[in-house]
Amino acid sequence: MSKGVILFAHNNRQIDYARMSILAAKLAIKNLQVPVSLVTDPSTMDWMKESGIDKIAADTFDKIIITQRPEDSNNVKNYFDGNNRTPATFTNGNRFSVWDQTPYDRTLMMDTDYLTLTNTLSSYWDADEDLLISSKYNDIQGKERIGYLDTHISETGIEMLWATTVMFTKNENTKIFFDLVEHIKTKYKMYSDVYRFNPLLFRNDIAFSIAKHILNGYQKVDEYSLPTIFSTADKDILVDADDGKLKFLVSQNNGENYVATSVADKDVHVMNKFSIMRNYDKLMELAQ
Amino acid sequence: MQEQLDKALEFANYRQSFAIKRKTLKEKIDAKLTYGFSGGIFKIDRSLLNFVEMLINRGRIENVVLLDINDNPIAIEKLESFRDEIFDRYFTATFEYLEEYQKIKKARSVETLLEV
Repeated sequence: MSKGVILFAHNNRQIDYARMSILAAKLAIKNLQVPVSLVTDPSTMDWMKESGIDKIAADTFDKIIITQRPEDSNNVKNYFDGNNRTPATFTNGNRFSVWDQTPYDRTLMMDTDYLTLTNTLSSYWDADEDLLISSKYNDIQGKERIGYLDTHISETGIEMLWATTVMFTKNENTKIFFDLVEHIKTKYKMYSDVYRFNPLLFRNDIAFSIAKHILNGYQKVDEYSLPTIFSTADKDILVDADDGKLKFLVSQNNGENYVATSVADKDVHVMNKFSIMRNYDKLMELAQ
Repeated sequence: MQEQLDKALEFANYRQSFAIKRKTLKEKIDAKLTYGFSGGIFKIDRSLLNFVEMLINRGRIENVVLLDINDNPIAIEKLESFRDEIFDRYFTATFEYLEEYQKIKKARSVETLLEV
């Protein structure tokens, strides 16, 4: 059974997801020892050529799959870098297509801001479960900063799964799941009425959570899940990456009262994408 | 008075950094104690170690069924090899835990904590 990682990268005017995907891929190749493929679009590919990263991308990725850019121009969110706010389009509406796009029998789909610094996820390749999604958000600072909407899709909704990491076997069961995610995306407004969540921003986390809930017979079922998503918020700042350690300023209170800490030998989801880009070269050294 | 307050705030910063370091260290070790085997996912803890050792002591060394973290039955063909693997992982992880925990306990400032 072939195994591999898939990343999706669709640039916007502020964030170079393609460049981030090379870093994420290099780290995954080093620590998980599997090939990594990229799903991207023609305009992102053009930018990769223009910025001169196309060659390193070709050397890094097992396959580069060019697909149509999702129509997500209305999907705008605020990207934070500490207290600085930058609105930009959030192009993430084609994750459901991973089932069709993946060249692997067993696939790990990850966000490009998820830095794989260990081989922890390797324990799950052979797990006897067709579909594994992380079921919990794990904040670097602890439970104090985790709000109800980090664990549920709305104030009255079901529990949230985190589509930051998703592992699946390509078979009929998972085809049904990803087709259902596509259907939920298409009827997002209707599902927001049924499941009582805010539909303004399309989130894969929500679509995946609903699909899983439906396929589990509208119940919460105890089943395997991927490890918790150890995350730093977008208001936290990655200030340095040195000697295998990532040094962060962690905001105690929504962009105020920063505390310094460091993380080593642990997978980490760095939501502040600007700070990844500022430390890009140092982070790339971790992948050597 | 201001000096006392500054010192208290500095210490509070240190305590918060320490708490984050301790939390991430514990989670790191937890991850190392998670073991995927034969389609199941096992948490290597004292209960699993004891149970496996007890089965071996009673002569049950082949084709044993263990329940994993989701209480799914997982067939273990060679229990002694499984025992050796989980013991090895347990001691490696807990030794690392001790070593790193001592380092963060000894670090008495945010600056030194950052280097651990």
